[in-house]
Amino acid sequence: MPTSAAENYFPVLLQILIAMAVAGGMVGGSFFLGHKVRNRIKDMPYESGMVPTGDARGRFSVKFYLVGMLFILFDIEAIFLYPWVVVFHELKMLAFIEMVLFIVFVLAGFFYIWKKGVLNWAAEGNDEGKDAVRILSHDQHAA
Amino acid sequence: MTASDLVALSPLILLSATALVVMLSIAIRRHHGASATLALLGLAASFASLRWAASVTPRQVTGLLLIDGYTLFYWGVLLALAAAVVLLAYSYLEHQTGHQEEFYCLMLLATAGGLVLVASSHMASLFLGFEILSVSLYALIAYLHLQRLPLEAGVKYLVLAATSSAFLLFGMALLYSETGSMQLATLARFYMGAPNAALGAAGWAGTVLMLTGIGFKLAVVPFHLWTPDVYQGAPLPTTALVATISKGSVFALLLRWFHPAGSLAGTPVWWAFVIMAAASMLAGNLLALRQNNVKRLLAYSSIAHMGYLMVAFVAAGPLAVQAATYYLLAYVITILGAFGIMSVLCSGEEECCELEDYRGLFWQRPVLAAMFSAMLLSLAGIPLTAGFLGKFYVMAAGASSALWLLLFVLVASSTIGLYYYLRVLVVLFSSLPEDHVKVMLPRGRVPAGAGFSLAVLVILLFVFGLYPAPLWDLIRGISAGIG
Repeated sequence: MPTSAAENYFPVLLQILIAMAVAGGMVGGSFFLGHKVRNRIKDMPYESGMVPTGDARGRFSVKFYLVGMLFILFDIEAIFLYPWVVVFHELKMLAFIEMVLFIVFVLAGFFYIWKKGVLNWAAEGNDEGKDAVRILSHDQHAA
Repeated sequence: MTASDLVALSPLILLSATALVVMLSIAIRRHHGASATLALLGLAASFASLRWAASVTPRQVTGLLLIDGYTLFYWGVLLALAAAVVLLAYSYLEHQTGHQEEFYCLMLLATAGGLVLVASSHMASLFLGFEILSVSLYALIAYLHLQRLPLEAGVKYLVLAATSSAFLLFGMALLYSETGSMQLATLARFYMGAPNAALGAAGWAGTVLMLTGIGFKLAVVPFHLWTPDVYQGAPLPTTALVATISKGSVFALLLRWFHPAGSLAGTPVWWAFVIMAAASMLAGNLLALRQNNVKRLLAYSSIAHMGYLMVAFVAAGPLAVQAATYYLLAYVITILGAFGIMSVLCSGEEECCELEDYRGLFWQRPVLAAMFSAMLLSLAGIPLTAGFLGKFYVMAAGASSALWLLLFVLVASSTIGLYYYLRVLVVLFSSLPEDHVKVMLPRGRVPAGAGFSLAVLVILLFVFGLYPAPLWDLIRGISAGIG
């Protein structure tokens, strides 16, 4: 029987070492033994077989403060839901109704912000995104 | 939570639901008129449900809110003020670029915050009400965020109001550690010097911190510095909202729970209020003397008026609560009227609030100029107006408690105040300047809604100035249970 902590964890260490040896052996083996062909197609980024288009440095707006607001919206919801779950059995129906109401309010806020085009990040030339674009350009204008 | 609790809360529930409905209606389809109409309908429904709520009051709802005659009276006042602001805001926002609809949603939420504040009997609900009101006001003040001044005012208010909220919260924590209760009634007992109730150092520190937070909202000296900038920068309907609903609800709360009721006289808290009252009256009136912007002038005058209100607040006796309530009512009607007239006049994208813009207004817009004069005379406390009777009652309350020094300051500073109100009047009635370029709203184009609310305000101003008995009796009825 193993007695000390070191003895207890020895199999784990062994496992790590074997894993490293196997992974290293496979990659190293194919590197030294396999033959190499280099061409343009092979050097392209692999994206599920699709041919890449455009430049990786394209800029798009993250709309950080609107995303931040969305985060808070659902963060608050989570904060309320956790303690609610704990006391749910004691408060029974009242708690259920109140939480349903609360979630309806949160979703109403979400619906509003959705309709305002906050989730529409590629906003150009899109009717629904115009609001968000205007907000954004206003921000830059104001700054 | 029983069915009766819900009935008692129905005005608040209806108001909050209206804010939600307005928001959803904006999400579905933007329409300025529809949003304003929905807001008005919601306020009317909420107002109508006051009668329904009155059938189950007085009632303590969930330990946080106390709904009684006093609460319902102030709820009615706040809802009526909000309805007037909606009407004025509609005509004002028509001329502004950008979205107009969200204003109503935020405004309804601010009003709901005021309602919570008036009804609160617990520190938690006090703070919640405070925050609902403040957070809506941040957005409302910076509503025209493409212009420089509103944005600046919004940021200033945000920073200062957040700081004052922190003060308030820390004060509450200290007071709780000392008294072991978050009920405002228990807290008030400590100040009244009830047996076995004495505050220690932490308690007094907490008191000072809470005074700071509340003093900020009321804009009394020395917490008044934000007032002129925010009043000037905020869009006129928002300024009216800050001057009436925000200050009114905080004062109503203070009056109910911390009205000194005699036994407080001579204690440090009482002296703090006395000093704040005297300093506000003097500083407000003196600083207003040399203002050339009408909004700033009214901002300083509002500091002075809060000082007058504080005189009734520190006075003991049954008269004090009634006098303070009457004065507050007269003041909010008057100041809402004054800002309302300005918002009707400033019909362009740009607000014209410089004193010189008003030169010779009487010869262009006689009715509006006459209304504006009535409002200014009421602010100055000239007889026949509600402002005079309000000041009279405040004086009577002060005299019955023998607050001679405060009364002397009140009289002296009112006399100073007369100067700058008359200065505006002189400008209104002087002849048109030669190089008159700025055209105020052309003749006969006051929007119906705004015109209606202004007419009602002017009528109320004179009714409350000439025939105070019904209102006075009503106030006596609702204030019987408190103070």
